Amino acid sequence: MGGEPPPAEGTNIEGESPQAEPTVETDEATITDDAELERTLGLSGGLAIGIGTMIGAGIFVFPGLAAGRAGPAAAGSFAIGAAVALLVALPTSELATAMPKSGGGYYFISRGLGTLAGTVVGLSLWFGLVFATAFYLVGFGYYAVDTLTELGVTIGAGFVIPIALLFGAGFTVLNVTGTENAAKLQNGIVALLLSILVAFLAYGGLDSVGLVGEPGASEQFAPFGGMPVLTTAALVFTSYLGFAQVATVAGEMKDPERNLPLAMVGSVLIVGVLYVVTIFVATSAFGSEALADFGETAMVEVGRHYLGAVGAFAIVFGGLLATMSSANASVLSTSRAIYAVSRDALLPRRASRINLRYGTPHVALGLAGGPILVLTATGRVELLAEVASFLHLIMYGLICVALLTLRRNEPEWYDPEFRVPGYPVVPALGAVCSFALIGFMQPASQVVGIAIMITTAGWYAYYARDVSLKGAR
Amino acid sequence: MTRILVPLAILEGESISPGLTTLLGPVDVTVLGYHVLPEQTPPDQARVQYEERATDALEDLVATLRVGGGRADHRLVFTHDREQTIDRIADETAADAYAIPGASGQVDRLLVALTGDVAVDRIRSFVGELIGNHGIGVTLFLATDDEVGGRALLEAAASGLSARGIDVTTELVVDAPPFEALLEAAATHDAIVVGERAPSLRSFLFGEETERLAVESVAPVLVVRNIDETSTADDS
Repeated sequence: MGGEPPPAEGTNIEGESPQAEPTVETDEATITDDAELERTLGLSGGLAIGIGTMIGAGIFVFPGLAAGRAGPAAAGSFAIGAAVALLVALPTSELATAMPKSGGGYYFISRGLGTLAGTVVGLSLWFGLVFATAFYLVGFGYYAVDTLTELGVTIGAGFVIPIALLFGAGFTVLNVTGTENAAKLQNGIVALLLSILVAFLAYGGLDSVGLVGEPGASEQFAPFGGMPVLTTAALVFTSYLGFAQVATVAGEMKDPERNLPLAMVGSVLIVGVLYVVTIFVATSAFGSEALADFGETAMVEVGRHYLGAVGAFAIVFGGLLATMSSANASVLSTSRAIYAVSRDALLPRRASRINLRYGTPHVALGLAGGPILVLTATGRVELLAEVASFLHLIMYGLICVALLTLRRNEPEWYDPEFRVPGYPVVPALGAVCSFALIGFMQPASQVVGIAIMITTAGWYAYYARDVSLKGAR
Repeated sequence: MTRILVPLAILEGESISPGLTTLLGPVDVTVLGYHVLPEQTPPDQARVQYEERATDALEDLVATLRVGGGRADHRLVFTHDREQTIDRIADETAADAYAIPGASGQVDRLLVALTGDVAVDRIRSFVGELIGNHGIGVTLFLATDDEVGGRALLEAAASGLSARGIDVTTELVVDAPPFEALLEAAATHDAIVVGERAPSLRSFLFGEETERLAVESVAPVLVVRNIDETSTADDS
């Protein structure tokens, strides 16, 4: 097990200091001076967090949008996304085994690269998750309207946003009042989703290679050339934002040096394969133009194509569950991101107060829920997804840079159990790919992303300039 | 030395009754203060806010336990999973038993159930250590379908205890629902000692039998751990 990063120092503008206490990390608990923190999540719990956060967006909302942009080569875009995610997941795993603490990417970067980078990433992660959650909620709205349509109640697309807002508010309230057994429910939903998808993909896959059913539409693999494949990869990268959420619960995971890398790398691999196959099946069923016309819920038509009304209903139901589970997992991650920065005195301490009655962080959940609702109301699916990707990609790139820096100087406390294979190529590639992917986004998303980063840097300069998280070595 | 673990939901005001404090005098006690958090709250976040309050409460409790000359210490754990925490601390402290506090005044008579999976020898020697020479009486209780075998078991256990100068009576229940019979016997006693049972479908559906016993009898329940079985840690 890794050692202890040097204690953080300094005070913010309100005179609060980072709360760092010497701890001993064991496989089953984190032990501080007077108290112990039980590690309660197993490997299956970690995988469920990773898969549960990732699976909703990519598989259920993107096929139509992505196929419209890149043609059947959209499958390649998803593969590129998976490759980048994997290149980042490996370095993240190493850092997580060296510092198995709650906070995830933010924690690694602030300890490896210092307070400014930490503040920008920590606060950007908050906004990144807020954008991602809004995106999941809008997707949820589309699926909810479609579910009603399948049930014979046609209310029209005008209700997408109101439904999304209603559920966004619902999740926030639910999380403030305590979600008993939420993790078990989440595991159940993920298992159910995986079985729906695997059954569906097995049939669709056989069909699309021509073994059963009618021959599908055939078309050129990349009708628009290579560039759209890359820009689409940038768009759909939102689908892979879940694996880093596993690192945010590193402090609660049993046997972290084994379970953290397995959960992160495993969830990327499982989800990546599912995505690629799904896009392949979807584009074989309809051809990308028709698929693009179906929009956010194109998968429902794919389901109908293969298995009739039952297939459509299974997908619509799966889409509801998946977008819901992604949205809920992200609301939770947001409140944890806020806790991580406020513990380090980068935000006022009161942001991480716990509600006495429910035992939940109500302030942080409010700071997540409020902005989520505002963004959901915009209904701009692509922009929301890309800004979320942008902010996460910055963090992923910096995680790789932090790893390179730490390995170069290798401070005494840095002793990871898991070491990245192919160092330094893998983390270097991970950093380059993460930053490069940003270059392929729409200018609007880039502008919003950069504006958010400048704002967070400004907050650092105003509020927490004297805080030093990197410490002396 | 015999060690008993006393898990308490410390921030919810759970405490050790005076009767139990006295009863635990002769043995080592570890007070486990725990606080269960909903899944959306990182345990560390709760620690930052509540550690001091919980530690104060625990130190007071331990001081009370030490007044009677007993040896006691405390642990404080923030967790999502109460059972896992209790099992881990019980293993780490090598506790022989854990206590479900209940309410009790002066303990004069102890009900000791021999029904269960734990070896009768373990229970008997535990009771011997616990009582020491405090002059507390013991009722050995057994519910079984095998009257002759049950009688013999009770006699053997009773003679072992009375040899140490303990006032022992026995109670044998034949052909009756064991749990209900135990509850009925518990009504006339101040505290109960039982053996830990392997998890069964029944305990899964209705909650641990020991927990139900504690809830329905209101008295403190001491559960003697089945060390061989619980020391094999499981993990998913």
